[in-house]
Amino acid sequence: MGGVDVDTGGKKRSTNSEINMVPFIDLLFVTVAFLLITAVWVTNSRINADAQVPGPPDPNKELTPQTPEKVLNLHIGENDFGLVWKQGATVVSEVKVPKTPVELGDGSTKVLRYPDLAKKIEEEWKAQGGHRDASDKKLDQCILYSDNRTQFKELVAVLDALYSPKREMILGKETKKIPVFNMTFSVR
Amino acid sequence: MDRYNPKAHHNPHAHVIHAPGARLMHGVKLRYVWNKVQGHGHRSPNASLNLVSFIDFLSVIVIFLLMSFSASGEIAVDKNVTLPKAENVEAIIDAPMVAVNGNQILVDGVQAGSTRSIEELGRLQKIDELFALLKNKRELWKQVQPNKPFPGVCILQVDQNVSALVVKSVFQTAAFAGYPNVSFMVGKIPSTSGAAPAAE
Repeated sequence: MGGVDVDTGGKKRSTNSEINMVPFIDLLFVTVAFLLITAVWVTNSRINADAQVPGPPDPNKELTPQTPEKVLNLHIGENDFGLVWKQGATVVSEVKVPKTPVELGDGSTKVLRYPDLAKKIEEEWKAQGGHRDASDKKLDQCILYSDNRTQFKELVAVLDALYSPKREMILGKETKKIPVFNMTFSVR
Repeated sequence: MDRYNPKAHHNPHAHVIHAPGARLMHGVKLRYVWNKVQGHGHRSPNASLNLVSFIDFLSVIVIFLLMSFSASGEIAVDKNVTLPKAENVEAIIDAPMVAVNGNQILVDGVQAGSTRSIEELGRLQKIDELFALLKNKRELWKQVQPNKPFPGVCILQVDQNVSALVVKSVFQTAAFAGYPNVSFMVGKIPSTSGAAPAAE
């Protein structure tokens, strides 16, 4: 089976030695069996959201009035999306993106996507986004406005487009690419 | 001394001390067995297999399985829930699971409300059963780990055809119960842009 061939050329005892491969093959078989049994074939992931609940005020800190940050308001309409940047009550910019869904796959595995929306959101963030530095731990905020009848798969498609632009952020000793926006729902 | 020869002188210590050397039986010599295995000058009946390619194959499988091994294990998804798919996602974390299908809401398998009643009412509402269950879970977590800050994370497994009204109601109820960091479980689709994967 396995061996090491060293030709000495003399009359001495041969230096060829046979390594018994059976235990090695057994070990490989046991490892393959263990890994096959414990394998996870379906990989699920998650999409983050934030309910924007304020924490309790710190009694040791003096409250100072701060200028409100620019927030992206994403409206899901019948035929288009509205991207509105607001600073407090002031509208900074407003853009409409036509709704052009792209459906991948078929049947129950159909995936809805909005690549045009993702592209426009990235452009808007590059023009208006407030948190860009890698050392900045805060994310830009997005408020999602949708009709109550909108299906969850459409919400996920919009969230997927919203989370497509990414920036670098220093987390501890390493730098990671993370989505530029943090999303919350608008409710009345 | 040959211990198999009956004519030999009986030595009381013969069973203890023997002359060194290979032996098989009295009539069958070890050399004979060796020649038999070799084929008595003919082609040997023993055929040796080249195991190198076989071991290579096994090694490749082991490496592939080790790379795709997940220590966190599989997270159970409600059988009535069809998850939507997305590309820009993060790795799943350990948190309370709220499953929302077309009929009911479940927290870790325990019923916590009806989806139909929310849709029939037609407006955003706080789901009392869900609120009570999540609040109990939060208080239990705080009792078990009193020195750690509560992460306030829960994961929603929502069916892809459930309406936004139900999603918002569950989302709002979770926030009221002390879980402001809500994540939606989705199926992962491979990246189409070729960009770096999301931070995990």
